[in-house]
Amino acid sequence: MIKVEKLHKSFGKNEVLKGISTQINNGEVVAIIGPSGSGKSTFLRCINKLEEPTNGKIWIKDEDITDRQTDILKVRQNVGMVFQHFHLFPHMTVLENLTYAPLKVKKITKSEAEKNAMKLLEKVGLAVKAQEYPNKLSGGQKQRVAIARALAMNPEIMLFDEPTSALDPEMVKEVLDVMKTLAHSGMTMAIVTHEMGFAREVADRVLFLDGGVLVEDAPPNEFFSNPKSSRAQDFLQKVL
Amino acid sequence: MNLDFTSVLPSLPFILQGLGVTLQIVCLAGILGFLLGIILSLCKISKMKLLNWLANAYTSVFRGTPLILQLMIIYFGSPQVLGFQIEGVTAAIIGFALNSAAYISEIIRAGIQAIDKGQQEAAMALGVPYRPTMINIILPQAMKNILPALMNEFITLTKESALVTTIGVMDVMRRAYQVGANQYQFMEPLLLAGIIYYILVTILTFLGKLVEGRLRSSD
Ligand SMILES: Nc1ncnc2c1ncn2[C@@H]1O[C@H](COP(=O)(O)OP(=O)(O)OP(=O)(O)O)[C@@H](O)[C@H]1O
Ligand SMILES: [Mg+2]
Repeated sequence: MIKVEKLHKSFGKNEVLKGISTQINNGEVVAIIGPSGSGKSTFLRCINKLEEPTNGKIWIKDEDITDRQTDILKVRQNVGMVFQHFHLFPHMTVLENLTYAPLKVKKITKSEAEKNAMKLLEKVGLAVKAQEYPNKLSGGQKQRVAIARALAMNPEIMLFDEPTSALDPEMVKEVLDVMKTLAHSGMTMAIVTHEMGFAREVADRVLFLDGGVLVEDAPPNEFFSNPKSSRAQDFLQKVL
Repeated sequence: MNLDFTSVLPSLPFILQGLGVTLQIVCLAGILGFLLGIILSLCKISKMKLLNWLANAYTSVFRGTPLILQLMIIYFGSPQVLGFQIEGVTAAIIGFALNSAAYISEIIRAGIQAIDKGQQEAAMALGVPYRPTMINIILPQAMKNILPALMNEFITLTKESALVTTIGVMDVMRRAYQVGANQYQFMEPLLLAGIIYYILVTILTFLGKLVEGRLRSSD
C-alpha cells in the first residue's frame, strides 16, 4: 500500500507538486494522466525517492520513506520501476540484466537467480533472448526486458513512467499486454501513461494531475465519460 | 654536420639500462596515478561539497604549476619535510603519480558524467547501493570513453618521465646525456635516446589502438 500525504516538491523556486494526497491500495492499478509538465513523473519518482520530497509524507507499506531513518534501499527493493527509455545495462546480457540486482542485493545463489530470471523472461516472451545484449533488441523487447528486470527483485509494487511513449506504434501492444497480465495477477501498479484506452481498460482508478495539483481521482468510467473539472474536460477533449 | 655513431654505439647498453628505471617510473606512477585519479574523480562527482572542493583544489594546483617544480619540491624538499632524503626514483614515482592523478581524475570524471543518468537511476530503483552501482554499472561503461584518453595520458607520462634527469635519476635521458658529456659529443647519444623513446611511445600507441579496437568490437 502506498499512502501520500500533502506531498510538495520544488526544484529551486519552481514548485512542481503542490500538496498531493492520495492512497493506492494493495492490488490496485492506478493510471496517472495529465498534460506535459504537470508533475506526473516527479510524483512517481518521489514514491521511490529518486526525487527527494520537499515536504509531506509518503508511506510504503508501513514505512515512512520521508523519514531519514528509513532504509530507502530496502524499500526500493520492494518497488520496481520501469522508465520511458528502458535504461537497460548495455554491457550486460539480458540474463545478466535480470540477475544483477538479485545477486548483488538479495545475496541469493546464481542458479536460483538465473532460474527465476528465465521464468520471468518466459513470461514476457523473451526467453530466447537471454544471452543477447540489449542493443540487439527492438524497443518493445527492451521494455519487456526492463519490466522483467524490475520483477526479478520480486517487488510488491511497480511504478511505470510512460513505458510505451518511446516505442514505435507497432510495439506498444506487446508491452501493454505484459502490463495487463501483471495487473490481472494482482500487482499494485502506478502507471503514468498517455494510452487512454489502456487506462480505461486496465486501471481501477485514474489520477488526473494538472499544474502539480491532483485535480481528479475517480474510476476510469466516471473520469472518461463524465469528468468533473473543466481542466480534465479540456485535457480529454485534446487527447481523445 | 657529421654524425659519428661508432664511438657512441658501445655505450648503447649503458643507455638502454635506463629503460628499466624509465619503465618502472612510468608503470608505477601510472598505476598509482590511476587509482588516486579514480578516488579524486569520485570526490568530484560526490554530493558532498567539501569533497568536491578538495578534489578540485588538488587538480587545480597540480595542473597550475610546472611538473618539474613539483618533482623538485618532492625530491629536494623531502629532508626538510620528512627528515630524510628520499631516493630519486621514489620521488619521481610519487611526483608523477600525484601529477597524473590530477589529469586522470578529469578524464574519469568526464567519462562518468557522459554516462546517461538513467543508468544510475535504474540501479537505484532496484535497490542497489552506491558503491556496487559505480563499480559494476557506471565505471565499466565509462571505461570505453576513458581508455583512449587514459592511453594518451600514459604516453605523455612516458615522454615527460625524462624530466627525472633533473633530480639525478639514471633513466634513459640522463644516461644519454652522461655519455655525451664523457665524450664531448652530444648529438649521437641524444638521438639514440630519442629513438628509444620513440619506439616506446609507438609500442604504447599500438597497444592503445588494440585495446580500443577490442572495446569497439564488444559494442
Ligand atoms: N530535475 C529537475 N530539475 C528542475 N526542474 C525539473 C526537474 N524535473 C522536472 N522538472 C520540472 O518539473 C515540472 C514537472 O516535470 P515532470 O517531468 O514531473 O512532468 P510530467 O508531467 O512528467 O511531464 P511529461 O508528460 O512531459 O513527462 C516541469 O516543469 C519540469 O521542467
Ligand atoms: Mg514525465
